[in-house]
Amino acid sequence: MRLPDLVRTTSFRLTLLSLALFAAAAAAFLFYIYIATAGEVTQRADEEVGREISSLETVYARAGQSGVNQALIERTFGERPFFYLLMDAAAKPISGNIAATPVEPATSEARSSFRVTETDPDGAIRRRAAWGRQVRLPKGELLFVGVDIAEGQGYVLRIIRATWGAGVLVLILGLAAGLLVSRNVSRSLLGLKRAVAAVEAGDLHARAPVRGVGDEYDELATGMNAMLDRVERLMGGLRHAGDAIAHDLRSPLTRLRSRLEAALIEVDNGRADPTESLIQALEDTDGVLKTFNAVLAISRLQAAGQVPNPQLFDPAELCSGLAELYGPLCEDKGLAFSAEFSKGLQVRGDRDFAGQAMANLLDNAIKYTPPGGAVMLRVRRRSSGEVECSVTDTGPGVPFEDRVRIVQRFIRLENSRTQPGTGLGLSLVQAVAEAHGGRLDIDDGPGLVQEGATQGAGPGLRTALVFPEPAAA
Amino acid sequence: MRILIMEDDVSAAEAIIKGLADAGHEATHAPDGEAGLEAARGGGFDVLVVDRMMPKVDGLTAVSSLRREGDSTPVLFLSALGEIDDRVTGLKAGGDDYLVKPFAFAELIARVEALCRRKDTGGQATLLKVGDLELDLIARTVHRAGVEIDLQPREFQLLEFLMRHAGRSVTRTMLLEKVWEYHFDPQTNVIDVHISRLRSKIDKGFDRPMLQTVRGAGYRLDA
Repeated sequence: MRLPDLVRTTSFRLTLLSLALFAAAAAAFLFYIYIATAGEVTQRADEEVGREISSLETVYARAGQSGVNQALIERTFGERPFFYLLMDAAAKPISGNIAATPVEPATSEARSSFRVTETDPDGAIRRRAAWGRQVRLPKGELLFVGVDIAEGQGYVLRIIRATWGAGVLVLILGLAAGLLVSRNVSRSLLGLKRAVAAVEAGDLHARAPVRGVGDEYDELATGMNAMLDRVERLMGGLRHAGDAIAHDLRSPLTRLRSRLEAALIEVDNGRADPTESLIQALEDTDGVLKTFNAVLAISRLQAAGQVPNPQLFDPAELCSGLAELYGPLCEDKGLAFSAEFSKGLQVRGDRDFAGQAMANLLDNAIKYTPPGGAVMLRVRRRSSGEVECSVTDTGPGVPFEDRVRIVQRFIRLENSRTQPGTGLGLSLVQAVAEAHGGRLDIDDGPGLVQEGATQGAGPGLRTALVFPEPAAA
Repeated sequence: MRILIMEDDVSAAEAIIKGLADAGHEATHAPDGEAGLEAARGGGFDVLVVDRMMPKVDGLTAVSSLRREGDSTPVLFLSALGEIDDRVTGLKAGGDDYLVKPFAFAELIARVEALCRRKDTGGQATLLKVGDLELDLIARTVHRAGVEIDLQPREFQLLEFLMRHAGRSVTRTMLLEKVWEYHFDPQTNVIDVHISRLRSKIDKGFDRPMLQTVRGAGYRLDA
């Protein structure tokens, strides 16, 4: 990663922010130290000067101006000399070791910081900081006493300089650490960024690398990959659903169109009543819509992989209602109808979808079983804990080799083509079963029980919607 | 009856209005939720037909706000969605009935009229009378011209529904939804079998049949 890019990263910005905070804190600290120590140096100097002045005032009281004069000459040669200047009332120098008073105006009693020039033994001229005070003596003379404070101030300056230096060092180190951290973070995010860019560009198979360190970046990558897996699965489901709908609707629509066209020709030739053709077309359209709804339901169930709002319901209650609804239809068709329900069972799922599936199974049984036969609806718990809702008939049955095929969309066996239907009934049952985590079982019925029946008699068929145990689901 | 159609598809709305006019109803159109809300607040409608998906304010929100304002005009939701939980959400939001697009015209008119009727009869009568047919909701008995008719429990419910909507068409889907409370396609016309059994009980032996089949729509109980 290039430096300018690095500088834009969040971690680098955070580093900069903390550095700025640190610098502000250091500056405040520095200022406080300066105020405290610098004040201390001046105050000490002032105390020293004050003591010297009182001592000289004592001399003045005892021996007058000449005594002070004498004292000044003696004290000038002391260990650490003060700066002295004795002046008359008009601030004209009388004696001392500096040429003029630094106090402004010259005749006032005041304190002042000033500078003295000093010649080193090697000839270099230095200006040193000093502090002094001027007082008026009882007879009107002015006395100025000052002291060199360069040493103290130099000490303060050295502290400040050292602190500055340390601050700059910290800033440089911090900046370097910031760059390093941002580079590491950027590297860790690089895989994620690449994966996101690839997905954005349309490659849904792209995944972020997981480095196996188990840190938060790995967690993020794992989470993102799981999300992409799900998105890809859903997209696949949708695409499949779309393809299926387009495929499944083409033939009924083609049929409808040619029927309308034929009707138009007939009407044009005056051979048919347009009302009849319109009614026929309306019925055909209803058929297309029925197919459409079935295909949509199947595709949605398959794409979602589960029913929308699973809830616990009693399958026996659902099926007894269906028995009551379909029983009379059986009787009208000359079929013996019986029902048997185990009580107290529960399955988790969607009652309406399950009802639709059972209705489809019942409808098939009633459609294909010849008069004189029997249809049985049964709800029971298997020893495995699964709950089974089954429909058994004594009809022709389905040969073993065709049982996989009849569940596929639009597969209609030879003898069923004359019956109305979309060819999607069992596909929908299968989709409902799978969406509930269950399955559709197709077995032989009770065997050849319809004695004397010639046409359509067979081993019968047993279809069962099997739900998993609700706790396990 | 005055009906407000909240529907953003103008040609669909026009067809609905024309159909309702043919059936003798006066329909007003609102092209979006906002206009619909305004019109509904103006009052004077017997039924609101509300599309779920509309610009500005969607159908669910519009009906929810009307219900909050204390408006109890019956609402029929129209939807192209049609999933099971869509129907449940619609009813929860304050809808009284739910119809999935595309629908047969007869279905829409029958449902709208059923909703109007419900508003009319609001009160809880214990004895329903249609012509010489009497249904006692407390004693659970049915008489026609004084002769007691023995009905199965479901036949009783079926007749009760038909009597409450006497003189109007009810569709097979309506019967399946309101009498059996099933919301799926029964594949065959199972309802016809039940109707013919009921018919044989209430009409057989009487000179005038009351339970009529309406072509392309369903059934109608006439006095």
